Amino acid sequence: MYCLNDKQIDFILGDISARGIGMVSLQQNLLDHICCIIEQDLDEDGDFEHFYQQTVSRFYKSELREIEVEAINLLTHKNYYAMKKVMLGSGAVSSFLLTVGLILKFGHWPGAAVCLVLGIFILSFVFLPLVFTLKIKEQKSNREKAVVAIGALAASLICLWILFKIMHWPFANVMSLIAIGIMIFVFLPVYLFTGIRNPETKTNTIVSSILIIAGCGLVLTLVRSPAGTREQYAMNSGNFFRNEMILKSERNQGSPLQNATEKNIFSLCESIKRFLVFKETGSNEISADFESKGQLLGDSSAAMHFSSSTEMEKEIAELCDNIEVYNKGIKSGQQPISLARTILKAPEKKVTDALNDFVQIQMIVLQNQQKPIASR
Amino acid sequence: MIYSSELIKGTLKTIVLKQLENNKRMYGYEITQRVKVLTSDRIQITEGALYPTLHALEAEGLVTTETEYIGKRIRKYYTLSPDGKTRIDEKISELADFMNTMKFLLDIKPQPL
Repeated sequence: MYCLNDKQIDFILGDISARGIGMVSLQQNLLDHICCIIEQDLDEDGDFEHFYQQTVSRFYKSELREIEVEAINLLTHKNYYAMKKVMLGSGAVSSFLLTVGLILKFGHWPGAAVCLVLGIFILSFVFLPLVFTLKIKEQKSNREKAVVAIGALAASLICLWILFKIMHWPFANVMSLIAIGIMIFVFLPVYLFTGIRNPETKTNTIVSSILIIAGCGLVLTLVRSPAGTREQYAMNSGNFFRNEMILKSERNQGSPLQNATEKNIFSLCESIKRFLVFKETGSNEISADFESKGQLLGDSSAAMHFSSSTEMEKEIAELCDNIEVYNKGIKSGQQPISLARTILKAPEKKVTDALNDFVQIQMIVLQNQQKPIASR
Repeated sequence: MIYSSELIKGTLKTIVLKQLENNKRMYGYEITQRVKVLTSDRIQITEGALYPTLHALEAEGLVTTETEYIGKRIRKYYTLSPDGKTRIDEKISELADFMNTMKFLLDIKPQPL
């Protein structure tokens, strides 16, 4: 039986490490294993170095490092099958939810939003990241891994953009620019030039690239251009400005409001309109030269602005109460203020529609006030 | 006859777990020697297969480890974890079932060892 000294043990450890074994626990295992073999099988006066080289060469096919590579592979692929199952499951669930969500949406039945949001959420945060993780393991070169990573990122961003868009959440447009930008200017060139070099994947790569360009092109045709958006916003401001002018002239023509409820309704509407205009444009009102001043009314959801101010929520509740009192006290020939389909009953409306509703409420109050005079 | 490493690879986890069940705690070299003796040299577990398998079993929580200093070097002892104890019967019956299927599939007549 051979007796190893400390110097020889240090030599073996150094050699194992130099041969590419970096995991400390694996180094310890191999060191002990080699020491055991030498102690058991080498004669007391045997040649240590020669025997060691002979022993260690039995451990591998081409290099010692393959033991560590195999260990890492086993550790990382431990969850491979579970991940694959979850990927397929999440893909099926998200497709099902999207299909049901779309059927509900087109049938105008309740539950559509929940299904669509959940479907897109699972698609972007479970299915696509898992596809990316599993695909990246199959790719050999760093360039191919990068293609998969960029593709998954762009696809997730496109899904989230559509989700943010339909839910009227902020940053949807920024997300669309980033997603389409990454897809066309980063993913496509890398994907095309990687795939086109390989004769096996050449045709598939070209076809897929054309489909990506066509897909992005079709999506972009549905999106309003920045100039178109500005035009639309300017039209919104113009509409609101004219409504306000008509309201002002109506008010100037009639007698001043006498009733406290009428006054409350009027002032509450004014206050809420001012709040919405300020939130949307940064100014308290829309003036005649709104375009040059940049007072443009966008597509934001009114509910989003209201949720940021508890005071506004209170004013809206107060307005509803006042309108209820007002409707109870109207005389014959006057029309009640119907709240059905107005911002007060359907808070998901856009700011421009909400402003329109408040102007209409004020106009009804003014017209009712003039009716007794006219009928006299 | 020495069995090829390809044949042993799929059964290695079960072999290691069974050895740990029978012998309480063992280190790597000991496992290879024990299997070699038990099978009259027919199954020789290679170091390249054993240590990745032991690391995977540890990561799966089927075995626990403790270290001991043997002079200047460290020896890592492996013991079956409670989870490993419950999984071992499952693994063995899966392998037995597989062996029966292979016997049927390849039309193997029972032969003495």
